[in-house]
Amino acid sequence: MTALTVTNASVSGRITDVSMALAPGMLAGLVGPNGSGKSTLLQVAAGLLPATGGVSWSGREVDEILIPERGRLAAWVPQEARFEFGFSVRSVVAQGRYARGDDECGVDEALQQLDLTALAHRPVNRLSGGERQRVMIARALVTEAPLQLWDEPLAPLDPRHGIEVLTHARRLTRAGSTVLFSLHDLRAAYCLDFVVVLHQGRLRAAGPPEEVLTPELLMEVFGVRAKQSLGLTLELP
Amino acid sequence: MTPPWVHRVAFPVALLLLGLLALTSLAVGDMRLSPARIVSGLLHRDELAATILWNIRLPRMLVSVMVGAALASSGLVMQAYFRNSLASPGLLGVTSGGAAGAVVIIGLGWASASIFVLPVAAVVGAMFSTSVVIMLARRGASTERLLLAGVALNALLGAVTSYVLANFTLSYERNARILFWLLGGLEDRTWEHVFMASPILVAGALLWPLGRPMDLLSLGSREAQSLGVDTKRLRRSMLALSTVLTALATAVAGTVGFVGLIVPHLLRLLVGPEHRRLVPLTLIGGAAFVLACDLISRSAGGLRVGIVTSLIGGPFFLWLLRRQA
Repeated sequence: MTALTVTNASVSGRITDVSMALAPGMLAGLVGPNGSGKSTLLQVAAGLLPATGGVSWSGREVDEILIPERGRLAAWVPQEARFEFGFSVRSVVAQGRYARGDDECGVDEALQQLDLTALAHRPVNRLSGGERQRVMIARALVTEAPLQLWDEPLAPLDPRHGIEVLTHARRLTRAGSTVLFSLHDLRAAYCLDFVVVLHQGRLRAAGPPEEVLTPELLMEVFGVRAKQSLGLTLELP
Repeated sequence: MTPPWVHRVAFPVALLLLGLLALTSLAVGDMRLSPARIVSGLLHRDELAATILWNIRLPRMLVSVMVGAALASSGLVMQAYFRNSLASPGLLGVTSGGAAGAVVIIGLGWASASIFVLPVAAVVGAMFSTSVVIMLARRGASTERLLLAGVALNALLGAVTSYVLANFTLSYERNARILFWLLGGLEDRTWEHVFMASPILVAGALLWPLGRPMDLLSLGSREAQSLGVDTKRLRRSMLALSTVLTALATAVAGTVGFVGLIVPHLLRLLVGPEHRRLVPLTLIGGAAFVLACDLISRSAGGLRVGIVTSLIGGPFFLWLLRRQA
């Protein structure tokens, strides 16, 4: 059984005939140049954007799952969160529990994991872009949803928080969840189990990163030449 | 952040304030009534007090309470809907829509046919404004876009009202009634108006359980749906309730501006942005605010309540704009 299956999904002018499947417990990345349809595909996969074709979670058609139950089965993190009102960081994270009886189970733990404990009572509309993104990831974590769909979670983060988020994603997949997120850092993509490459709204390739991210594909899709070199390697102390 | 004790005392304090203002509203006027006389009057033990209270002051007080609760909560709902703290029924033209609907009906002389004609016309007018604003906001509800839509709608509906005034052969009485709508007032309210406004209580009660999902919606529609909120249904309910609330308030009191902007804003500053607290507090706070403005208008002799709310609301709005910039 697959955790996520997208079959021939199309959204006019954005993605065309995309099909992909992810096994449970997979840490997968979605890569592609700007405007290749990554955000659209994530929203389609999350059941938030109507598309032709089909989406199923653990073998169940998303269209047949009632919206409150969807909130327990999949979590989505937007690329950029806009906050008009000054909700506290803690209350925004706690919203992740809405579909599970609105208790506060796991909220403090998620705040700690995303290094937000000190900011818990700060209004979200006064946070930096990276801090906001951590709030949204913490909110996704407390949903305990087995399918996590994150739109560029690493882009606004500093190196330490980026590595921490990747570590949390890995921990989730070890516990049986499936994580699919879009990213631009191709070096980070090499640490994942599976990579999906989108180009001009179409699926270009999918599979383990070392098989998919070949120099030829990188040249064709991104217009960059891949070069092996001994660069800087960062890890948590 | 709001200290927890503020959350604990906010609701009882608001209720106490509303009670005191309601009592004052019954007590003051050409003939002052002591609390003891108010009780005797309400129980028909003092016939003079009973006549004043049951025929004049009680209906006026009840209409004020309902109008205030309706306008303030309608503003709160629109702010959550558009994710914009400057959205309010007055600025978006919903109030003008309700008033234009009512004015056309008065102009045509149909208002006296049934007591339901006026509220229905106000709802239709308000719905027109709401649908125009929704159409414009579909491509992004930025402050500028919403306010400009409001400016255009207010101008257009103002033109409709002026047309009715200038081109219908109107009696003095009809003209006076139309002016009443334009100025917004609570004078001479009767039990018929109380009855006309009473669906506000139902709409207000229906808002209560929407508080929590409104919190999620105010951070984004897709975000809310991903967390398990049926946003389509929620947004439909919010729009219907806020439009009906504004329209009913306008049907009984004319255009009373800025209540939907001032009250939710002040309360948000006081108790934070969570709608579970804001919905009940805005209903009470709005009622208290309009009662207070009505008391000011009565003590200032001839100053209509709509003028008082605008005198407070105009500078408040400018302050808000400056604060946002």
